[in-house]
Amino acid sequence: MVLSGLPLAQLLMIAGGAASVTVLLYILKLRRRAVPVPFARIWDTAFRDQKATELFSKLRRLLSLLFQLALLALLIFALGDPKPKQSLLEGRHLVVLVDGSASMKAIDVKPSRIEAAKAEVKKLVRGLGSADRALIVQMGALPSPLSTMSSDVTELDPAIELLSASDTRADLDRGLSFAIDSLRGLPKAEIVVVSDGVLGDVTTIASHLDLGNTSLKFMPIGKSGTNVAISEFSVRRYPLDKSRSEVMLEVANTNDRPAQVELTLLGDGAIIDVSRFALGPNERLPRYYQDLAGASRTLEAKIRFADGRADDLPADDHAYALMPERHRARVLVISKGNTYLEAALLLDEYLDVTTVLPGKPLPSEHFDVAILDGVADALPETVAAALYLNPPEGGVPLKLGARLSDFGFDTWDKKSPILRFLALGDVQVADGRALTPSPSDRVIGASDQGPILVTGARAGHPFVALGFDPRNSDWVLRVAWPLFVLNTINAFVEEDTSYVSSYRTGEVWRVPAPSSADSATVTDPRGAQHVVPVKEGRAVYLGEEAGFYKLSAGSGVDAVSSEFAANLSDLAESRITPQAELSLGQKKAGPVAIGAPGSKHELWVYLLAIVLGLSLIEWITYHRRVTV
Amino acid sequence: MGLLDLFRRDRAPRAKRRERVLFDDEFQRKLEMLALVSRRVFAGRLRAERRSKKKGSGIEFADHRDYVAGDDFRSVDWNVYQRFGKLLVRLYEEEEDLSIYLIVDCSSSMGFGDKKKFDQARRLCAALAYVGLANLDRVTIVGVNESLMSRMPTTRGKGRIFKVFEFLSQLEPAGTTDLEAALKTFVAQHKRRGLAVLFSDLYDPAGFEAGINVLRFNKFEPYVVELVDPAEARPSLKGDVRIYDCETGEERELTITDGMLDKMQRAVSDYRAGIERFCAQKQVPYFPADVDTPFDELVLRVFRRGGFLR
Repeated sequence: MVLSGLPLAQLLMIAGGAASVTVLLYILKLRRRAVPVPFARIWDTAFRDQKATELFSKLRRLLSLLFQLALLALLIFALGDPKPKQSLLEGRHLVVLVDGSASMKAIDVKPSRIEAAKAEVKKLVRGLGSADRALIVQMGALPSPLSTMSSDVTELDPAIELLSASDTRADLDRGLSFAIDSLRGLPKAEIVVVSDGVLGDVTTIASHLDLGNTSLKFMPIGKSGTNVAISEFSVRRYPLDKSRSEVMLEVANTNDRPAQVELTLLGDGAIIDVSRFALGPNERLPRYYQDLAGASRTLEAKIRFADGRADDLPADDHAYALMPERHRARVLVISKGNTYLEAALLLDEYLDVTTVLPGKPLPSEHFDVAILDGVADALPETVAAALYLNPPEGGVPLKLGARLSDFGFDTWDKKSPILRFLALGDVQVADGRALTPSPSDRVIGASDQGPILVTGARAGHPFVALGFDPRNSDWVLRVAWPLFVLNTINAFVEEDTSYVSSYRTGEVWRVPAPSSADSATVTDPRGAQHVVPVKEGRAVYLGEEAGFYKLSAGSGVDAVSSEFAANLSDLAESRITPQAELSLGQKKAGPVAIGAPGSKHELWVYLLAIVLGLSLIEWITYHRRVTV
Repeated sequence: MGLLDLFRRDRAPRAKRRERVLFDDEFQRKLEMLALVSRRVFAGRLRAERRSKKKGSGIEFADHRDYVAGDDFRSVDWNVYQRFGKLLVRLYEEEEDLSIYLIVDCSSSMGFGDKKKFDQARRLCAALAYVGLANLDRVTIVGVNESLMSRMPTTRGKGRIFKVFEFLSQLEPAGTTDLEAALKTFVAQHKRRGLAVLFSDLYDPAGFEAGINVLRFNKFEPYVVELVDPAEARPSLKGDVRIYDCETGEERELTITDGMLDKMQRAVSDYRAGIERFCAQKQVPYFPADVDTPFDELVLRVFRRGGFLR
């Protein structure tokens, strides 16, 4: 027998103090309460024989004191948490990996797989032996330990209650690595995986993970899996008509039977499209929605069976996306007057154009783009980018070359965003100047006489330079002219280039944030706020829940707030048919043997039960006046 | 405010209301119909409604005697003269008043608990006093403990009942019980013999017998009304206690159990049986007055059934 609780010396000190207090209280208890009676002589008559039993009465009081001291001794012994010496040495050490992936939200078992898993883990904990210790770990995108390695049910139970399923895939590889590390050096090590078996491809895990003597057990959860899912969802605005958008999504039927489904699209919370169609067994069906109007910010997709039934996994029936926010680009035009340029700028209602005559003082506000028409004024730092049209000698950020005449675009970079959708092959130009680019500049348009369209950057400010006056060509009469102007502005504003309409849960997201901020606050779909670091202009966050998020960074005038969306988008998680077995290559997980509840033989529990029993007897005998 | 305040007319309205309830007209009329029964004939002082040893001007025929010069001619029995030729004068019984002494035990034991015994004694005393006053008897009330504590002067006529209430309301239980000493003082101060009604719980450490005997030996006609509180026979006590006599302060350490309480109940019964036996042997009328029995029921039924009132 060893004491695993308080040490013996401390117990003896407590016993000494408590016994002294008990004896003192007992002496105080022996002071009888005074009660008046109307006529003591009658009491004498009634109690004249009590003196004969006085000795026995004193003895009974002594017995009562001894009784109290015995109770005290038992309680203090229980404080010491006595255990059989042998049991301390031979206990099992378990790491219980509970699948917290999206598939555990399935409701084929009531109320859900994760709740069923919690119930099973509770049974497992209650069936542990007195020397067994367990560690509860939630296995999501990252393993999260929820308790210490403990045998205390009062610590393990709250940890089990904390278990929850997220909208991510469970990473069994990481979970097992964590479990192996936790069990290293401990005897009788066991890993218990509590899961529905929807863990992706696990066959390769055994090749790089050495379980050693650690035994692997599997506790299957779930009984069926009827599911349809939205497995992909993204949206983008049309570059030339940002009021319209196109949506790409993919729906999947993960069952072996065909299904009639109803797909609903919601723009800014209002229904904008409802369609019904059939999905074959295990079919994945991509769908495109073109020229979609009616949504300016949020877009959601919902799928369900056409007959109104819900499937077993609601988590993948709802997808979210955010369209890029349309910025009003500020454009500074320095020109003596150019009808074709002004007409091109009128085509986009999201342009805020300010026109200044050459040589006049420039406004001090911030401008996204400056268009310098035949001039080369020095631009202030508040101008982010510049488009030079027919620049004069000495002002342009690059040197001018030879004079050109009767030329056109013989080569141009069709992949450049500035020249996309443009047909420049038959543009005729009367005269102009060849441009001399720096080594870091890029020629995106040239005639056989020399470069005429160059892009590059100076002091962090990008520019595009055109070597001729467009009015000296027929370009301004073509559709390609306004497209060129608007493409250039779009390329400078960079509205579309890095936009992500929705992130994927379970991955580390890098959300654009002000580069000046060190940290940002992410508000998840449930309203919880998380402070995340900002690295190189990106807020880094591992999201585990589908829905709309908000990000805010900076403070005061520099405060920036933006939104983004996240989706499960994981077909593997949508295939929720539970697996009865778990095999890591050649290694197969064994079944879990759950002990009978209460098999955790804690001696102090019995000591406490004895104390309670004795107290009950003492209480009864006191009220029956046996021990007083 | 004492419980006897309930009988007082000139006090607060609430007291008046209670007075009407507890000592209402109906009860008052019934009391007027009653009279205390005296088995012996005592010499009275004033003319009243009680038979006395004197011959006089009553209406009840008593005897004849020879006519002597100076006798009232109207009292000559002419029927006897017609038959026997002798002049005899009719003698009638003289009706005098009766002295009634109401002795209230005012020791601490009477006030034990919620003064239930003391209040019941005061109520009964007031009722009997009213009966006596209504019959033109001479009523005297005394309070006793270890001595004669207080005394209401002898009074007569039912108009004096409020004096009685006033006196009773001023009594408070205090001191120890010594009936013998107190009643010796009583008999020394009251030479005119009569009915002596003792209201007491008879918790006398020296023995109740001596006190009653003082009345007997001094030719009073004693009546004993024992105030009984059933709660005293089985108090709600358990465990280790130190009891002390509320009068003498004597202490005893006891451990009380249910068995002990049964014994206590038997002891109280034995004590009361002893009182009853003594009174029966000495031909002293004895009436137990339970505090839980309404006092009007005690007066109208129990005392009448026991021959105390008629």
